[in-house]
Amino acid sequence: MAAPPETVRVVDRDAAAAVAGLDALDTPTVTRTPLWRRALGATVPPVLTLVVVIVAWQALWASALFPEFKLPAPGTVAEQFGEIVVDGSIWSITWTSVGRAVVGFLVAVAIATPLGLLVAKVAFVRTAIGPLLSGMQSLPSVAWVPAAVLWFGLTDATIYFVVLLGSVPSIANGLVSGIDQVPPILGRVGDVMGAGRLASARLILLPAALPGYLAGCKQGWAFAWRSLMAAEIIATSPQLGVGLGAYLKQGSDVNNIAGVISAIVLILIVGVGIELLVFKPLERRVLQTRGLAAPV
Amino acid sequence: MTATLDRTQVAPTRPAAQLTGVAKVFGTGAGAVTALTGVDLRVEPGEFVCLLGASGCGKTTLLNLLAGLDRPTRGTVDVATDRPAVMFQEPALLPWLTAVRNVELPLRLAGVGRSNRRGTANELLELVRLDGQARKRPHELSGGMRQRVALARALAATTVDTTSGDAEKGGRLMLMDEPFAALDAITRDVLQGELERVWRATGTAVVFVTHDVREAVRLGQRVVLLSSRPGTVVREWDLTGTADRRALTGEITDHLREVISTHGRAA
Repeated sequence: MAAPPETVRVVDRDAAAAVAGLDALDTPTVTRTPLWRRALGATVPPVLTLVVVIVAWQALWASALFPEFKLPAPGTVAEQFGEIVVDGSIWSITWTSVGRAVVGFLVAVAIATPLGLLVAKVAFVRTAIGPLLSGMQSLPSVAWVPAAVLWFGLTDATIYFVVLLGSVPSIANGLVSGIDQVPPILGRVGDVMGAGRLASARLILLPAALPGYLAGCKQGWAFAWRSLMAAEIIATSPQLGVGLGAYLKQGSDVNNIAGVISAIVLILIVGVGIELLVFKPLERRVLQTRGLAAPV
Repeated sequence: MTATLDRTQVAPTRPAAQLTGVAKVFGTGAGAVTALTGVDLRVEPGEFVCLLGASGCGKTTLLNLLAGLDRPTRGTVDVATDRPAVMFQEPALLPWLTAVRNVELPLRLAGVGRSNRRGTANELLELVRLDGQARKRPHELSGGMRQRVALARALAATTVDTTSGDAEKGGRLMLMDEPFAALDAITRDVLQGELERVWRATGTAVVFVTHDVREAVRLGQRVVLLSSRPGTVVREWDLTGTADRRALTGEITDHLREVISTHGRAA
Protein backbone atom coordinates (compact mmCIF):
# COMPACT_ATOMS: atom_id res chain seq x y z
CA MET A 1 0.00 0.00 0.00
CA ALA A 2 3.08 2.23 -0.05
CA ALA A 3 2.01 4.56 -2.85
CA PRO A 4 4.39 7.34 -3.87
CA PRO A 5 3.50 10.59 -2.13
CA GLU A 6 2.55 12.26 -5.38
CA THR A 7 -0.10 9.66 -6.17
CA VAL A 8 -1.40 9.91 -2.65
CA ARG A 9 -1.76 13.63 -3.02
CA VAL A 10 -3.62 13.30 -6.33
CA VAL A 11 -5.93 10.64 -4.91
CA ASP A 12 -6.58 12.80 -1.89
CA ARG A 13 -7.34 15.81 -4.06
CA ASP A 14 -9.81 13.72 -6.08
CA ALA A 15 -11.48 12.48 -2.93
CA ALA A 16 -11.71 16.01 -1.56
CA ALA A 17 -13.31 17.17 -4.81
CA ALA A 18 -15.82 14.30 -4.73
CA VAL A 19 -16.74 15.06 -1.13
CA ALA A 20 -17.09 18.77 -1.86
CA GLY A 21 -19.25 18.08 -4.90
CA LEU A 22 -21.50 15.72 -3.01
CA ASP A 23 -21.86 18.19 -0.16
CA ALA A 24 -22.81 20.93 -2.59
CA LEU A 25 -25.44 18.70 -4.21
CA ASP A 26 -26.94 17.29 -1.03
CA THR A 27 -26.99 20.26 1.33
CA PRO A 28 -30.55 21.31 2.00
CA THR A 29 -31.21 24.70 0.40
CA VAL A 30 -33.07 27.41 2.24
CA THR A 31 -34.90 30.19 0.47
CA ARG A 32 -35.67 33.23 2.59
CA THR A 33 -38.60 35.50 1.90
CA PRO A 34 -37.91 39.24 2.41
CA LEU A 35 -38.97 40.82 5.70
CA TRP A 36 -41.66 43.11 4.26
CA ARG A 37 -43.37 40.18 2.56
CA ARG A 38 -43.29 38.17 5.73
CA ALA A 39 -44.73 41.08 7.73
CA LEU A 40 -47.42 41.64 5.11
CA GLY A 41 -48.27 37.94 4.97
CA ALA A 42 -48.56 37.76 8.73
CA THR A 43 -50.67 40.87 9.30
CA VAL A 44 -53.02 41.19 6.31
CA PRO A 45 -55.14 38.03 6.87
CA PRO A 46 -55.95 38.65 10.57
CA VAL A 47 -56.65 42.35 9.96
CA LEU A 48 -58.97 41.32 7.13
CA THR A 49 -60.77 38.93 9.46
CA LEU A 50 -61.20 41.68 12.03
CA VAL A 51 -62.65 44.05 9.43
CA VAL A 52 -65.09 41.39 8.19
CA VAL A 53 -66.25 40.63 11.74
CA ILE A 54 -66.84 44.32 12.56
CA VAL A 55 -68.66 44.96 9.28
CA ALA A 56 -70.90 41.92 9.83
CA TRP A 57 -71.52 43.04 13.41
CA GLN A 58 -72.43 46.55 12.26
CA ALA A 59 -74.79 45.12 9.61
CA LEU A 60 -76.43 42.82 12.14
CA TRP A 61 -76.90 45.74 14.53
CA ALA A 62 -78.33 47.93 11.74
CA SER A 63 -80.86 45.24 10.87
CA ALA A 64 -82.32 45.78 14.37
CA LEU A 65 -83.06 42.06 14.75
CA PHE A 66 -81.91 42.16 18.38
CA PRO A 67 -82.71 44.76 21.03
CA GLU A 68 -80.00 47.28 21.86
CA PHE A 69 -79.40 45.84 25.37
CA LYS A 70 -78.45 42.50 23.81
CA LEU A 71 -76.46 43.64 20.79
CA PRO A 72 -74.80 47.05 20.97
CA ALA A 73 -73.28 48.79 17.97
CA PRO A 74 -69.52 48.37 17.52
CA GLY A 75 -69.26 52.11 18.04
CA THR A 76 -70.93 51.93 21.45
CA VAL A 77 -68.46 49.27 22.57
CA ALA A 78 -65.60 51.39 21.24
CA GLU A 79 -66.94 54.33 23.23
CA GLN A 80 -67.10 52.25 26.40
CA PHE A 81 -63.60 51.04 25.69
CA GLY A 82 -62.44 54.60 25.16
CA GLU A 83 -63.92 55.61 28.50
CA ILE A 84 -61.82 53.19 30.54
CA VAL A 85 -58.77 54.12 28.50
CA VAL A 86 -59.33 57.82 29.15
CA ASP A 87 -59.99 57.48 32.89
CA GLY A 88 -57.00 55.16 33.10
CA SER A 89 -58.87 52.33 34.82
CA ILE A 90 -57.99 50.00 31.92
CA TRP A 91 -54.43 49.78 33.21
CA SER A 92 -55.32 48.94 36.79
CA ILE A 93 -57.97 46.43 35.65
CA THR A 94 -55.64 44.70 33.20
CA TRP A 95 -52.68 44.80 35.53
CA THR A 96 -54.66 43.29 38.42
CA SER A 97 -55.47 40.28 36.26
CA VAL A 98 -52.23 39.96 34.30
CA GLY A 99 -50.18 40.29 37.49
CA ARG A 100 -52.13 37.45 39.10
CA ALA A 101 -51.87 35.31 35.99
CA VAL A 102 -48.12 35.83 35.69
CA VAL A 103 -47.44 35.08 39.36
CA GLY A 104 -49.79 32.08 39.25
CA PHE A 105 -48.18 30.81 36.06
CA LEU A 106 -44.64 31.15 37.41
CA VAL A 107 -45.57 29.29 40.59
CA ALA A 108 -47.25 26.65 38.42
CA VAL A 109 -44.03 26.24 36.40
CA ALA A 110 -42.03 25.89 39.61
CA ILE A 111 -44.37 23.15 40.87
CA ALA A 112 -45.04 21.38 37.57
CA THR A 113 -41.44 21.07 36.40
CA PRO A 114 -40.14 18.80 39.20
CA LEU A 115 -43.50 17.03 39.22
CA GLY A 116 -43.27 16.32 35.48
CA LEU A 117 -39.68 15.09 35.87
CA LEU A 118 -40.74 12.70 38.62
CA VAL A 119 -43.67 11.36 36.61
CA ALA A 120 -41.54 10.92 33.49
CA LYS A 121 -38.55 9.27 35.16
CA VAL A 122 -39.93 7.30 38.13
CA ALA A 123 -42.12 4.39 37.02
CA PHE A 124 -43.96 4.16 40.34
CA VAL A 125 -44.86 7.85 40.35
CA ARG A 126 -46.01 7.58 36.77
CA THR A 127 -48.45 4.75 37.43
CA ALA A 128 -49.51 6.34 40.71
CA ILE A 129 -50.33 9.87 39.61
CA GLY A 130 -49.93 9.91 35.81
CA PRO A 131 -53.61 9.13 35.10
CA LEU A 132 -54.70 11.65 37.74
CA LEU A 133 -52.58 14.32 36.10
CA SER A 134 -54.10 13.63 32.69
CA GLY A 135 -57.58 13.57 34.19
CA MET A 136 -57.02 16.91 35.90
CA GLN A 137 -56.27 18.41 32.54
CA SER A 138 -59.79 17.68 31.31
CA LEU A 139 -61.42 18.85 34.56
CA PRO A 140 -62.48 22.50 34.08
CA SER A 141 -60.77 24.30 36.93
CA VAL A 142 -63.84 26.50 37.39
CA ALA A 143 -65.29 23.44 39.12
CA TRP A 144 -62.85 24.13 41.96
CA VAL A 145 -64.06 27.69 42.56
CA PRO A 146 -66.98 26.87 44.92
CA ALA A 147 -64.79 24.54 46.97
CA ALA A 148 -61.95 27.06 47.06
CA VAL A 149 -64.30 29.82 48.24
CA LEU A 150 -65.43 27.57 51.11
CA TRP A 151 -61.84 26.72 52.01
CA PHE A 152 -60.11 30.05 51.58
CA GLY A 153 -62.94 32.59 51.51
CA LEU A 154 -62.98 35.44 48.99
CA THR A 155 -59.21 35.94 49.07
CA ASP A 156 -56.29 35.85 46.70
CA ALA A 157 -55.63 32.31 47.92
CA THR A 158 -58.86 31.15 46.27
CA ILE A 159 -57.84 32.72 42.98
CA TYR A 160 -54.30 31.32 43.00
CA PHE A 161 -55.57 27.88 44.01
CA VAL A 162 -57.84 27.75 40.97
CA VAL A 163 -55.13 29.09 38.65
CA LEU A 164 -52.62 26.49 39.86
CA LEU A 165 -55.04 23.60 39.47
CA GLY A 166 -55.73 24.85 35.98
CA SER A 167 -52.18 25.15 34.74
CA VAL A 168 -49.99 22.74 36.71
CA PRO A 169 -51.35 19.59 34.98
CA SER A 170 -50.82 21.06 31.50
CA ILE A 171 -47.23 22.05 32.16
CA ALA A 172 -46.37 18.76 33.88
CA ASN A 173 -48.01 16.71 31.12
CA GLY A 174 -46.19 18.75 28.48
CA LEU A 175 -42.86 17.98 30.12
CA VAL A 176 -43.74 14.27 30.42
CA SER A 177 -44.66 13.97 26.75
CA GLY A 178 -41.61 16.03 25.81
CA ILE A 179 -39.38 13.57 27.64
CA ASP A 180 -41.25 10.55 26.29
CA GLN A 181 -40.69 11.78 22.75
CA VAL A 182 -36.91 12.11 23.06
CA PRO A 183 -35.48 9.56 20.61
CA PRO A 184 -33.92 6.69 22.63
CA ILE A 185 -30.78 6.90 20.48
CA LEU A 186 -29.92 10.25 22.11
CA GLY A 187 -29.91 8.55 25.50
CA ARG A 188 -27.61 5.87 24.08
CA VAL A 189 -25.26 8.58 22.82
CA GLY A 190 -24.92 9.79 26.39
CA ASP A 191 -24.44 6.23 27.68
CA VAL A 192 -21.62 5.36 25.30
CA MET A 193 -19.88 8.62 26.17
CA GLY A 194 -20.07 7.67 29.81
CA ALA A 195 -22.40 10.51 30.79
CA GLY A 196 -23.70 10.28 34.34
CA ARG A 197 -27.39 10.63 35.12
CA LEU A 198 -27.13 14.30 35.98
CA ALA A 199 -24.93 15.31 33.05
CA SER A 200 -27.11 13.29 30.70
CA ALA A 201 -30.25 15.04 31.97
CA ARG A 202 -28.69 18.49 31.76
CA LEU A 203 -26.94 18.19 28.41
CA ILE A 204 -29.15 15.73 26.53
CA LEU A 205 -32.53 14.86 28.02
CA LEU A 206 -33.83 18.28 29.05
CA PRO A 207 -32.78 20.20 25.92
CA ALA A 208 -34.24 17.38 23.83
CA ALA A 209 -37.54 17.61 25.73
CA LEU A 210 -37.71 21.41 25.40
CA PRO A 211 -40.23 21.58 22.50
CA GLY A 212 -42.78 19.46 24.39
CA TYR A 213 -42.13 21.36 27.61
CA LEU A 214 -42.65 24.68 25.87
CA ALA A 215 -45.91 23.47 24.30
CA GLY A 216 -47.00 22.45 27.81
CA CYS A 217 -46.10 25.89 29.17
CA LYS A 218 -48.05 27.57 26.41
CA GLN A 219 -51.11 25.51 27.21
CA GLY A 220 -50.49 26.01 30.91
CA TRP A 221 -50.54 29.77 30.40
CA ALA A 222 -53.83 29.55 28.46
CA PHE A 223 -55.34 27.43 31.23
CA ALA A 224 -54.04 29.77 33.91
CA TRP A 225 -55.59 32.72 32.12
CA ARG A 226 -59.01 31.17 31.65
CA SER A 227 -59.05 29.72 35.18
CA LEU A 228 -58.24 33.16 36.47
CA MET A 229 -61.12 34.72 34.53
CA ALA A 230 -63.54 32.09 35.86
CA ALA A 231 -62.32 32.66 39.40
CA GLU A 232 -62.53 36.44 39.08
CA ILE A 233 -66.05 36.33 37.69
CA ILE A 234 -67.35 34.07 40.43
CA ALA A 235 -65.32 35.25 43.39
CA THR A 236 -65.78 39.01 43.59
CA SER A 237 -65.20 41.04 46.71
CA PRO A 238 -63.92 44.54 47.45
CA GLN A 239 -60.73 43.18 48.99
CA LEU A 240 -59.90 41.35 45.76
CA GLY A 241 -59.93 44.55 43.75
CA VAL A 242 -61.21 44.86 40.18
CA GLY A 243 -59.60 42.67 37.60
CA LEU A 244 -60.89 41.85 34.14
CA GLY A 245 -63.26 39.18 35.45
CA ALA A 246 -64.74 41.46 38.08
CA TYR A 247 -65.03 44.27 35.53
CA LEU A 248 -66.98 41.93 33.24
CA LYS A 249 -69.20 40.86 36.14
CA GLN A 250 -69.89 44.50 37.00
CA GLY A 251 -71.03 45.19 33.44
CA SER A 252 -73.30 42.18 33.52
CA ASP A 253 -74.77 43.17 36.90
CA VAL A 254 -75.92 46.56 35.61
CA ASN A 255 -77.07 45.20 32.22
CA ASN A 256 -74.30 47.12 30.45
CA ILE A 257 -73.70 44.90 27.43
CA ALA A 258 -71.16 47.31 25.93
CA GLY A 259 -69.12 46.99 29.12
CA VAL A 260 -69.38 43.21 29.01
CA ILE A 261 -68.23 43.03 25.42
CA SER A 262 -65.36 45.45 25.94
CA ALA A 263 -64.25 43.29 28.89
CA ILE A 264 -64.35 40.19 26.67
CA VAL A 265 -62.38 42.01 23.98
CA LEU A 266 -59.80 43.05 26.55
CA ILE A 267 -59.47 39.47 27.85
CA LEU A 268 -58.96 38.32 24.29
CA ILE A 269 -56.39 41.03 23.57
CA VAL A 270 -54.33 40.03 26.60
CA GLY A 271 -54.52 36.34 25.63
CA VAL A 272 -53.49 36.97 22.02
CA GLY A 273 -50.88 39.54 23.08
CA ILE A 274 -49.05 37.19 25.45
CA GLU A 275 -49.16 34.42 22.85
CA LEU A 276 -47.74 36.68 20.13
CA LEU A 277 -45.17 38.50 22.27
CA VAL A 278 -43.92 35.68 24.49
CA PHE A 279 -44.75 32.15 23.42
CA LYS A 280 -44.70 32.39 19.67
CA PRO A 281 -41.18 33.88 19.33
CA LEU A 282 -39.87 31.49 21.99
CA GLU A 283 -41.43 28.46 20.33
CA ARG A 284 -40.26 29.54 16.92
CA ARG A 285 -36.68 29.89 18.11
CA VAL A 286 -36.68 26.52 19.81
CA LEU A 287 -38.23 24.74 16.84
CA GLN A 288 -36.05 26.49 14.28
CA THR A 289 -32.77 25.58 15.91
CA ARG A 290 -33.95 21.96 15.80
CA GLY A 291 -35.03 22.15 12.17
CA LEU A 292 -38.63 21.44 13.20
CA ALA A 293 -40.16 24.59 11.74
CA ALA A 294 -39.56 25.95 8.26
CA PRO A 295 -37.55 29.17 8.50
CA VAL A 296 -39.83 31.94 7.24
CA MET B 1 -0.21 10.50 5.91
CA THR B 2 2.71 8.90 7.66
CA ALA B 3 0.69 6.40 9.66
CA THR B 4 1.43 3.26 7.68
CA LEU B 5 0.79 0.02 9.47
CA ASP B 6 3.70 -2.03 10.54
CA ARG B 7 2.28 -5.50 11.02
CA THR B 8 5.67 -7.16 11.32
CA GLN B 9 6.06 -5.69 14.78
CA VAL B 10 5.48 -8.71 17.01
CA ALA B 11 6.19 -7.20 20.41
CA PRO B 12 3.60 -8.52 22.87
CA THR B 13 1.61 -5.28 22.96
CA ARG B 14 -1.71 -5.25 24.67
CA PRO B 15 -4.49 -5.69 22.09
CA ALA B 16 -6.97 -2.85 21.60
CA ALA B 17 -9.66 -5.35 22.48
CA GLN B 18 -9.76 -9.03 23.27
CA LEU B 19 -12.72 -11.34 23.80
CA THR B 20 -12.02 -14.82 25.15
CA GLY B 21 -14.69 -17.51 25.24
CA VAL B 22 -17.40 -14.90 25.49
CA ALA B 23 -21.02 -15.96 25.84
CA LYS B 24 -24.02 -13.81 26.54
CA VAL B 25 -27.38 -15.22 27.61
CA PHE B 26 -30.41 -13.03 28.18
CA GLY B 27 -32.98 -14.23 30.68
CA THR B 28 -32.97 -17.50 32.56
CA GLY B 29 -34.66 -20.89 32.43
CA ALA B 30 -36.79 -21.90 29.45
CA GLY B 31 -37.10 -18.35 28.15
CA ALA B 32 -33.35 -17.76 28.03
CA VAL B 33 -31.95 -16.52 24.73
CA THR B 34 -28.33 -17.12 23.86
CA ALA B 35 -27.12 -14.13 21.87
CA LEU B 36 -23.43 -15.03 21.73
CA THR B 37 -21.49 -18.17 22.44
CA GLY B 38 -17.82 -19.07 22.39
CA VAL B 39 -16.66 -15.82 20.79
CA ASP B 40 -12.92 -15.34 20.57
CA LEU B 41 -11.77 -12.13 18.98
CA ARG B 42 -8.59 -10.13 19.17
CA VAL B 43 -8.24 -6.63 17.77
CA GLU B 44 -4.68 -5.30 17.51
CA PRO B 45 -3.94 -1.63 18.15
CA GLY B 46 -4.73 0.32 15.00
CA GLU B 47 -6.33 -2.66 13.29
CA PHE B 48 -9.47 -2.41 11.15
CA VAL B 49 -11.69 -5.44 11.74
CA CYS B 50 -15.01 -5.96 9.99
CA LEU B 51 -17.63 -8.14 11.64
CA LEU B 52 -19.89 -9.60 9.01
CA GLY B 53 -23.13 -11.33 9.79
CA ALA B 54 -26.82 -11.63 8.99
CA SER B 55 -29.62 -10.60 11.32
CA GLY B 56 -29.41 -12.20 14.75
CA CYS B 57 -25.61 -12.51 14.76
CA GLY B 58 -25.56 -10.69 18.07
CA LYS B 59 -23.66 -7.68 16.73
CA THR B 60 -25.43 -5.22 18.99
CA THR B 61 -24.72 -7.43 22.00
CA LEU B 62 -21.09 -7.75 20.94
CA LEU B 63 -20.69 -3.98 20.54
CA ASN B 64 -22.38 -3.38 23.90
CA LEU B 65 -19.89 -5.74 25.53
CA LEU B 66 -16.97 -3.97 23.86
CA ALA B 67 -18.38 -0.56 24.79
CA GLY B 68 -18.62 -1.65 28.41
CA LEU B 69 -22.40 -1.16 28.50
CA ASP B 70 -23.01 -4.84 29.30
CA ARG B 71 -21.16 -7.77 30.89
CA PRO B 72 -20.66 -11.21 29.38
CA THR B 73 -22.36 -14.22 30.96
CA ARG B 74 -19.18 -16.26 30.45
CA GLY B 75 -15.69 -15.44 29.25
CA THR B 76 -13.71 -12.24 29.47
CA VAL B 77 -13.77 -8.93 27.65
CA ASP B 78 -10.58 -6.92 27.80
CA VAL B 79 -10.56 -3.48 26.22
CA ALA B 80 -7.45 -1.29 26.43
CA THR B 81 -9.27 2.01 26.58
CA ASP B 82 -11.93 2.62 29.18
CA ARG B 83 -13.99 4.64 26.76
CA PRO B 84 -14.26 3.25 23.24
CA ALA B 85 -16.14 5.52 20.84
CA VAL B 86 -19.34 4.30 19.23
CA MET B 87 -20.87 5.31 15.94
CA PHE B 88 -24.41 4.27 15.06
CA GLN B 89 -26.35 3.75 11.86
CA GLU B 90 -28.06 7.08 12.49
CA PRO B 91 -25.84 10.14 13.04
CA ALA B 92 -27.66 10.61 16.40
CA LEU B 93 -26.49 14.23 16.62
CA LEU B 94 -28.10 16.56 19.11
CA PRO B 95 -30.33 18.65 16.82
CA TRP B 96 -30.10 21.84 18.88
CA LEU B 97 -26.30 21.97 18.83
CA THR B 98 -24.11 23.21 15.99
CA ALA B 99 -21.77 20.74 14.29
CA VAL B 100 -18.77 21.87 16.31
CA ARG B 101 -20.64 21.68 19.60
CA ASN B 102 -21.82 18.19 18.74
CA VAL B 103 -18.20 17.16 18.21
CA GLU B 104 -17.31 18.81 21.52
CA LEU B 105 -19.92 16.82 23.46
CA PRO B 106 -17.74 13.86 24.54
CA LEU B 107 -14.99 16.30 25.55
CA ARG B 108 -17.47 18.38 27.48
CA LEU B 109 -18.72 15.30 29.32
CA ALA B 110 -15.12 14.42 30.14
CA GLY B 111 -14.57 17.86 31.63
CA VAL B 112 -12.19 19.22 28.99
CA GLY B 113 -11.92 23.02 29.13
CA ARG B 114 -13.78 25.18 26.65
CA SER B 115 -10.91 26.41 24.48
CA ASN B 116 -9.16 23.02 24.39
CA ARG B 117 -12.27 21.20 23.28
CA ARG B 118 -13.09 23.83 20.69
CA GLY B 119 -9.60 23.42 19.25
CA THR B 120 -9.83 19.62 19.12
CA ALA B 121 -13.32 19.76 17.62
CA ASN B 122 -12.26 22.16 14.88
CA GLU B 123 -9.27 19.99 14.00
CA LEU B 124 -11.48 16.93 13.74
CA LEU B 125 -14.05 18.74 11.60
CA GLU B 126 -11.22 19.69 9.30
CA LEU B 127 -10.13 16.05 9.20
CA VAL B 128 -13.58 14.99 7.95
CA ARG B 129 -13.55 17.95 5.53
CA LEU B 130 -16.25 19.89 7.32
CA ASP B 131 -14.28 22.99 8.26
CA GLY B 132 -16.52 25.87 7.32
CA GLN B 133 -19.63 23.97 8.38
CA ALA B 134 -18.82 24.14 12.08
CA ARG B 135 -21.58 26.57 12.93
CA LYS B 136 -24.32 24.74 11.02
CA ARG B 137 -26.95 22.71 12.80
CA PRO B 138 -27.64 19.09 11.83
CA HIS B 139 -30.81 19.90 9.88
CA GLU B 140 -28.81 22.25 7.67
CA LEU B 141 -26.47 19.43 6.63
CA SER B 142 -26.92 16.52 4.25
CA GLY B 143 -27.09 12.92 5.47
CA GLY B 144 -23.48 12.26 4.50
CA MET B 145 -22.28 15.43 6.22
CA ARG B 146 -24.18 14.53 9.39
CA GLN B 147 -22.55 11.12 9.43
CA ARG B 148 -19.16 12.79 9.06
CA VAL B 149 -19.96 15.03 12.03
CA ALA B 150 -20.82 11.83 13.91
CA LEU B 151 -17.46 10.38 12.82
CA ALA B 152 -15.67 13.47 14.11
CA ARG B 153 -17.59 13.17 17.38
CA ALA B 154 -16.59 9.52 17.71
CA LEU B 155 -12.97 10.47 17.04
CA ALA B 156 -13.24 13.14 19.72
CA ALA B 157 -14.48 10.47 22.11
CA THR B 158 -11.40 8.34 21.37
CA THR B 159 -9.17 11.15 22.60
CA VAL B 160 -10.82 10.96 26.00
CA ASP B 161 -9.49 8.37 28.39
CA THR B 162 -9.42 8.79 32.13
CA THR B 163 -6.87 6.01 32.65
CA SER B 164 -4.36 7.80 30.36
CA GLY B 165 -1.27 5.58 29.93
CA ASP B 166 -3.04 3.31 27.46
CA ALA B 167 -4.73 6.33 26.00
CA GLU B 168 -1.79 6.66 23.65
CA LYS B 169 -2.74 6.07 20.07
CA GLY B 170 -2.44 2.32 20.50
CA GLY B 171 -5.35 2.06 22.90
CA ARG B 172 -7.85 3.97 20.83
CA LEU B 173 -10.88 2.00 19.70
CA MET B 174 -13.86 2.95 17.59
CA LEU B 175 -16.94 0.73 17.37
CA MET B 176 -19.05 1.26 14.29
CA ASP B 177 -22.52 -0.22 13.99
CA GLU B 178 -23.39 -0.23 10.26
CA PRO B 179 -22.62 3.48 10.05
CA PHE B 180 -23.25 3.80 6.32
CA ALA B 181 -26.24 1.48 5.95
CA ALA B 182 -28.78 4.31 5.80
CA LEU B 183 -26.94 6.34 3.15
CA ASP B 184 -27.45 6.31 -0.61
CA ALA B 185 -24.98 4.29 -2.70
CA ILE B 186 -22.91 7.25 -3.94
CA THR B 187 -22.57 8.82 -0.52
CA ARG B 188 -21.76 5.45 1.02
CA ASP B 189 -18.98 4.87 -1.51
CA VAL B 190 -17.46 8.29 -0.84
CA LEU B 191 -17.73 7.90 2.93
CA GLN B 192 -16.09 4.48 2.84
CA GLY B 193 -13.13 6.14 1.19
CA GLU B 194 -13.19 8.93 3.75
CA LEU B 195 -13.30 6.50 6.66
CA GLU B 196 -10.31 4.66 5.26
CA ARG B 197 -8.38 7.91 4.98
CA VAL B 198 -9.34 9.05 8.48
CA TRP B 199 -8.47 5.65 9.94
CA ARG B 200 -5.00 5.80 8.37
CA ALA B 201 -4.51 9.33 9.61
CA THR B 202 -5.53 8.62 13.21
CA GLY B 203 -4.32 5.07 13.77
CA THR B 204 -7.44 4.18 15.71
CA ALA B 205 -8.44 0.53 15.96
CA VAL B 206 -11.85 0.01 14.37
CA VAL B 207 -14.46 -2.71 14.86
CA PHE B 208 -16.89 -2.24 12.02
CA VAL B 209 -20.15 -4.21 11.88
CA THR B 210 -21.80 -4.64 8.51
CA HIS B 211 -24.19 -6.84 6.50
CA ASP B 212 -22.43 -5.90 3.29
CA VAL B 213 -19.67 -8.26 2.12
CA ARG B 214 -18.24 -5.77 -0.36
CA GLU B 215 -18.06 -3.07 2.29
CA ALA B 216 -16.31 -5.47 4.67
CA VAL B 217 -13.78 -6.52 2.04
CA ARG B 218 -13.11 -2.96 0.94
CA LEU B 219 -12.51 -1.57 4.41
CA GLY B 220 -11.26 -4.42 6.59
CA GLN B 221 -7.77 -5.69 7.20
CA ARG B 222 -9.53 -8.67 8.62
CA VAL B 223 -13.08 -9.89 8.00
CA VAL B 224 -14.73 -11.99 10.69
CA LEU B 225 -17.82 -13.95 9.68
CA LEU B 226 -20.39 -14.48 12.42
CA SER B 227 -23.16 -17.05 12.50
CA SER B 228 -26.63 -16.18 13.74
CA ARG B 229 -28.69 -17.29 16.72
CA PRO B 230 -26.49 -17.66 18.63
CA GLY B 231 -23.69 -15.53 17.24
CA THR B 232 -20.26 -17.07 17.08
CA VAL B 233 -17.18 -16.69 14.92
CA VAL B 234 -17.42 -19.00 11.89
CA ARG B 235 -14.34 -17.98 9.97
CA GLU B 236 -11.85 -15.18 9.53
CA TRP B 237 -10.05 -13.83 6.50
CA ASP B 238 -6.84 -11.85 6.72
CA LEU B 239 -6.95 -9.35 3.88
CA THR B 240 -3.54 -7.75 4.22
CA GLY B 241 -1.70 -8.40 0.99
CA THR B 242 -4.77 -9.76 -0.76
CA ALA B 243 -4.53 -8.74 -4.39
CA ASP B 244 -7.79 -10.07 -5.71
CA ARG B 245 -10.41 -8.62 -3.42
CA ARG B 246 -13.16 -9.38 -5.92
CA ALA B 247 -12.54 -13.12 -5.80
CA LEU B 248 -12.44 -12.95 -2.02
CA THR B 249 -15.76 -11.11 -2.00
CA GLY B 250 -17.26 -14.05 -3.90
CA GLU B 251 -15.74 -16.55 -1.52
CA ILE B 252 -16.98 -14.75 1.59
CA THR B 253 -20.43 -14.27 0.08
CA ASP B 254 -20.64 -18.03 -0.49
CA HIS B 255 -19.79 -18.67 3.13
CA LEU B 256 -22.32 -16.12 4.34
CA ARG B 257 -25.02 -17.79 2.19
CA GLU B 258 -24.11 -21.14 3.66
CA VAL B 259 -24.44 -19.78 7.21
CA ILE B 260 -27.82 -18.24 6.39
CA SER B 261 -29.05 -21.43 4.69
CA THR B 262 -28.55 -23.54 7.80
CA HIS B 263 -31.24 -21.50 9.51
CA GLY B 264 -33.76 -22.36 6.77
CA ARG B 265 -33.01 -26.05 7.18
CA ALA B 266 -33.27 -25.92 10.95
CA ALA B 267 -36.70 -24.32 10.87
